[in-house]
Amino acid sequence: MMGQNQILPLWLDPRTKILLLLLCVLSAMAAPSLQYEFLLVAGIGILGILCGKWKYALKGIVFYAMVYLFTVWAMNSMTGTLRNMFVAFLGLFHKVFPCGMLSGIVISTTKVSEFLSAMNHIHAPKKLIIPLAVMLRYIPTIGEDWRYIKDAMRMRDVSPSFQGFITNPGITIDCVYVPLMMAASKAADELSVAAVTRGIENPNPRTCLIQIRLGAGDAFTTLCFAAFFLAGMYLKEAG
Amino acid sequence: MNNQPKLECNGLTVKDLVTTGIFSAIFFIFTMFGGVFFAVNPVLTFYMPMGSALLCGPIYLLLVAKVHKRWSITILGVIMGIVWFVTGMHWAFSLGYISMGIIADMTAGFGHYKCKKLNMLSYMLISLGGIFTYLIFFIDPEGWAGAMLKNGTEQSYIDAMHTASPSWLPIVMIVGTLFVAAFSAWVGGNMLRKQFEKAGITV
Repeated sequence: MMGQNQILPLWLDPRTKILLLLLCVLSAMAAPSLQYEFLLVAGIGILGILCGKWKYALKGIVFYAMVYLFTVWAMNSMTGTLRNMFVAFLGLFHKVFPCGMLSGIVISTTKVSEFLSAMNHIHAPKKLIIPLAVMLRYIPTIGEDWRYIKDAMRMRDVSPSFQGFITNPGITIDCVYVPLMMAASKAADELSVAAVTRGIENPNPRTCLIQIRLGAGDAFTTLCFAAFFLAGMYLKEAG
Repeated sequence: MNNQPKLECNGLTVKDLVTTGIFSAIFFIFTMFGGVFFAVNPVLTFYMPMGSALLCGPIYLLLVAKVHKRWSITILGVIMGIVWFVTGMHWAFSLGYISMGIIADMTAGFGHYKCKKLNMLSYMLISLGGIFTYLIFFIDPEGWAGAMLKNGTEQSYIDAMHTASPSWLPIVMIVGTLFVAAFSAWVGGNMLRKQFEKAGITV
């Protein structure tokens, strides 16, 4: 209903997004140098801007640029154990950041109905797709729940910090797990009733108000990412 | 909800699928939260599966208690595998979660998902999913270092890992993970009995 209301320069098919994600993982694996990774993040940022997530994309690029500069500085001027620690941390960070950033863009721009409909097109098993869709939608809710739980714990004089955990483990564990899991199982009941009401069990092929189709934009973006990945492989072989 | 029509030919209802999805989300967050402090430190990285295993026991047991049907644990494992792969982890990590998910599902299935001891054992098994990356490291250190270096991990990180990895470590890792998982499942079992069964959540 509100899918096409805002005019975006680029609208991507969920199938394309999954392909892009795969290419991004491969590129991050193949990355021959830090500059290459930076270009990858910049590319993802441009994609994010085109998809209408310009604030998120800019934040991501600026943050990555800062870490990039820090990495260059750390590699040149640090020594010994401290350097080792940072190398380990930054190595992991540089590997995960592009994928995480792209995942964030993909998740925030894909509606659940679009995702389910596209998965239906490629005949992915429903038993896997429904939990996956639910999971992706539920992760932000956990963050919200966590903030409420923290407030509630403070109200009862239970400290939601590491120190509180050490001094009073039993009650802290109860106070964190029980509300979180209670909320989760309540949410599961409510969501499944809502999903059944909306006819998720209908055995007929799923229809979607937003037409899912592959367009020129999809082809172009995929080509860009594929070319980038191949360039990375080539640079790696050459270097 | 018992008179819901079944989805396709399988015994899982939509409610079960949604429950699995939601608990996978919590499972994922807690695994990450428990593991992240270990994973980035070369000396502690081998103990990362233990950190992850420590937090997820109650969640896993509640999932089993709520769904208690075949395939839901497998789905949990497969989702974990997909998500870890997409965030750029080593492939053995994903594969480990998928295969241990299937094995854990079978184990819990022997007790029809009701036997507390077998549920506990199946949690211990699925916790082992995280150690496959490290086992490959011990079977073939050279090839593993190569793959990780290609993944962008720095050489000195690998060196630090080499110095931190005597030959008894895999045993400590497996036994330690099993032990921590058992502890977590024990806490989870108590919590389930104390808080959730009385509230009627587990039926």
